Amino acid sequence: MSFSETFSMSLQNIWSSKTRTFLTMLGIIIGVTAVIVIVGLGSGMERYMADSFSSMGTNILTVQVLGRGSSRSVSADDMYAIVGENPGLLSAVSPTVKMSGTVKVGTETVDSAAVTGVSEEYFDMCGYEIAQGRGLQYVDIQERKNVCVIGAYTAGTYYGGSAVGETIRVGGVKLTIVGVMAQESEEPEEGGTDDCVYLPYSTAARLSKTGSIGSYAFTITDENQAGAAKEAVEDSLYAVFRDTNAYMVVSMTEMLEMMTGMIGMVVGVLALIAGISLLVGGIGIMNIMLVSVTERTREIGIRKALGAKESSILRQFVTEAAVTSALGGILGILLGCALSTAATLLITALTDTPLTVSPTLPSILLAFTISAAVGITFGYLPAKKAARLNPIDALRYD
Amino acid sequence: MNALIEFREVCKYYEMGGETIAAADHISMQIRQGEFVAIVGQSGSGKSTCMNIIGCLDVPSAGTCLLDGRDVGRMSRNELAEIRNEKLGFIFQQYNLLPKLTLLENVEVPLMYAGVPRAERRERAKIALELVGLGEKLRHRPSQLSGGQQQRASVARALVGEPAVILADEPTGALDSRTSREVLKLLQRLNRAGNTVVLITHDNSIAVQAQRIIRLEDGRVIYDGDARAPEALVTPNSAGEGDGA
Repeated sequence: MSFSETFSMSLQNIWSSKTRTFLTMLGIIIGVTAVIVIVGLGSGMERYMADSFSSMGTNILTVQVLGRGSSRSVSADDMYAIVGENPGLLSAVSPTVKMSGTVKVGTETVDSAAVTGVSEEYFDMCGYEIAQGRGLQYVDIQERKNVCVIGAYTAGTYYGGSAVGETIRVGGVKLTIVGVMAQESEEPEEGGTDDCVYLPYSTAARLSKTGSIGSYAFTITDENQAGAAKEAVEDSLYAVFRDTNAYMVVSMTEMLEMMTGMIGMVVGVLALIAGISLLVGGIGIMNIMLVSVTERTREIGIRKALGAKESSILRQFVTEAAVTSALGGILGILLGCALSTAATLLITALTDTPLTVSPTLPSILLAFTISAAVGITFGYLPAKKAARLNPIDALRYD
Repeated sequence: MNALIEFREVCKYYEMGGETIAAADHISMQIRQGEFVAIVGQSGSGKSTCMNIIGCLDVPSAGTCLLDGRDVGRMSRNELAEIRNEKLGFIFQQYNLLPKLTLLENVEVPLMYAGVPRAERRERAKIALELVGLGEKLRHRPSQLSGGQQQRASVARALVGEPAVILADEPTGALDSRTSREVLKLLQRLNRAGNTVVLITHDNSIAVQAQRIIRLEDGRVIYDGDARAPEALVTPNSAGEGDGA
């Protein structure tokens, strides 16, 4: 008896008891749906994370210099020298001096805006564009001018869009706004990328009265060489401090990998839990198959009397279990895809986050394979029972 | 002529409540190609055991059963399944058609297990059903037919594989007398066409339709001979009471 015949025979049997088959499949359907939606959600989150990071610049290497006593320190010039020494790995550097002073527009306090002292190159490094006025210039840095560039959100909210030429007060010092950045994020919001004030790092250092600048951002030439670039910076800093605790170099790529890894782990655990319902579904299939074997004892007896070998009966019942389970898998995949689309719409509608839940091909293939395998595994025991029935007893069975 | 079925001192023992019961007690007999034999006996006489052994559903506890010269007792379960498929055609009291399949599909089942290709199978099943007068009901399911029609369908299923022996176990047990006669006529016709038919029954009036009767009692053969001989219908017990026929 060929496989296609066994297959069509099992389809016939499954079709003749639709309700029962559907209920049997339910465990598998739910399991597969859950796995697909969860993995889809995970991959959506990973993509969202990667997008957010790349808008922050995955080509950025952040350096924190903590120093060691007062005997040794590095200056901005030393950092520029590191870039000069590694032209193949690093392309630019800018100090990043975070300021904590109160920001005031007129008499109104602006708490959300991030105030950072940077170099004239910083905008290019991050890919920020200037929409109005000009960016920071070398001369601003050199002369520690009280000027600044503000983000699109800050400009829109506090100056009604025409901010160039106006002033803003940071820690009591009046800065002239010389430029406004183009909008960076899709939905500008308070405290976001577009809510910011950038001033020359030299001015920032003076205002916040820090002797040496502690944090820098490097851009790397090739994102795939983030590791090597990080090492180059670390080596140079080690040469100065002779102490690995004196500085900290973090690459965005590395952080992204770390976050992705964490999401992957969480999704993995969730998927595993969802996978347990596949196991439960498999047990359900085994249960129904055992009932079915008992119900069809007479049929098995007849088939054996007519010449069915044990292997034919075994194959028939295993195929039936596998087909039931695989059909459940297919339904689960369809349902999973539908639910993923629904989830995407829901998330977008409720949270304004461009997070898409899209089922991945590997997860679909895996779900299908597992569901078919579950059918074969849990169908085997009942099938074996059927195959082993004594034909005389089976024929006499009512 | 060589014996198609040969029993040599066949014994079958069952354990029941610690007691050993001999359902077949040194039965020896031969059934030749082309014969129409009725194995007759009351319940408990051992006729079902005989039929199970002839039908390769069971093997003897002792002795030898040769089917077409091959020793059934030495076969594996797989070989027994093959023999059932190739050499035997079963007709049961309860018809035992598969309820979810059409008549055509039912008759195809033995051929399917024999590995006959689909198209040929269809054709042969159709011919067999036409032979028993059910050519118009190929697509019907068993539940849509009368008992007599179902039994004729099961005759078609028994003969479709061109078996060496057609083994009918109480084929008329569930039928009224008119349809019983029809089925018996069908079996006689098959016999005249060269088929070996073994009929198992407790009913003398059915048994006399065969050429030869083998009467069993308590696991032993008490008569083996012409169905028309008067002794064939007499059981020792009932002879004493005087109501042999």
